[in-house]
Amino acid sequence: MSVDPEMRDALLAAVPSLRAFAISLSGQVDRADDLVQDTLLRALANIDRFERGTNLNAWLFTILRNLFHSEFRKRRREVEDPDGSFAGRLQVQPEQGAHLDFEDFRDALSRLPADQREALLLVGASGFSYEEAANICGCAVGTIKSRVNRARSRLAALLAVDGAEDLGPDRATRAALQTAAF
Amino acid sequence: MNRDNRLARALPDQTSAPGAPAAPKLDRTAQTRIGDKLRSMYADLVQQPVPDRFTALLTKLHESDSVAEKAERKA
Repeated sequence: MSVDPEMRDALLAAVPSLRAFAISLSGQVDRADDLVQDTLLRALANIDRFERGTNLNAWLFTILRNLFHSEFRKRRREVEDPDGSFAGRLQVQPEQGAHLDFEDFRDALSRLPADQREALLLVGASGFSYEEAANICGCAVGTIKSRVNRARSRLAALLAVDGAEDLGPDRATRAALQTAAF
Repeated sequence: MNRDNRLARALPDQTSAPGAPAAPKLDRTAQTRIGDKLRSMYADLVQQPVPDRFTALLTKLHESDSVAEKAERKA
């Protein structure tokens, strides 16, 4: 395979976004890094298929998303996971205390169905348009829109956001939510 | 839904959100807060240093390419 320095730099520049997407999607840093690595290897193996001048990030996100889902299907056969929230809690890294701020949010995110989570991440965080997100997920624009809406509503419920309070749910609400979930 | 005055002030300009999704009603304040939190969580992840394995992967590839190119030229 031949990859010129320019392409190599572009791939490297895409890594932070790919990691952020993979971590948010899978809920696990180790798994996310494996996903990113597999994505880069697959991209390199198929680099001739990439049309120069088109959106490299969108192409890479499509590869990562497809890898994530094929792995998800494989896992699902291996492990019983009825609600699909196999991501579970993010493994909090002790050396990154500041990241604890987002623990509640990530926890809520991991409770969303995978299709809603990815739609929200693509549109609400990664900066893709609804059209680009639809291309990445291989579905209709309307489907992405409704998934994003449902994801937002579900997150609001999980985090007990009513606009007047701070984002974090109080303990009682959270305990109730968790009881309801299991 | 319990809406206090603070929230009520935020509600009237709902129409000003261009292309705001209509279905399941979620008030703008809550939506904005979720959006902000999501973006700050994501920005926090994006700003993390890139693990060496990725730099190494792409650098190694570049070196092996150079070696291969030289080999091709010699051949």
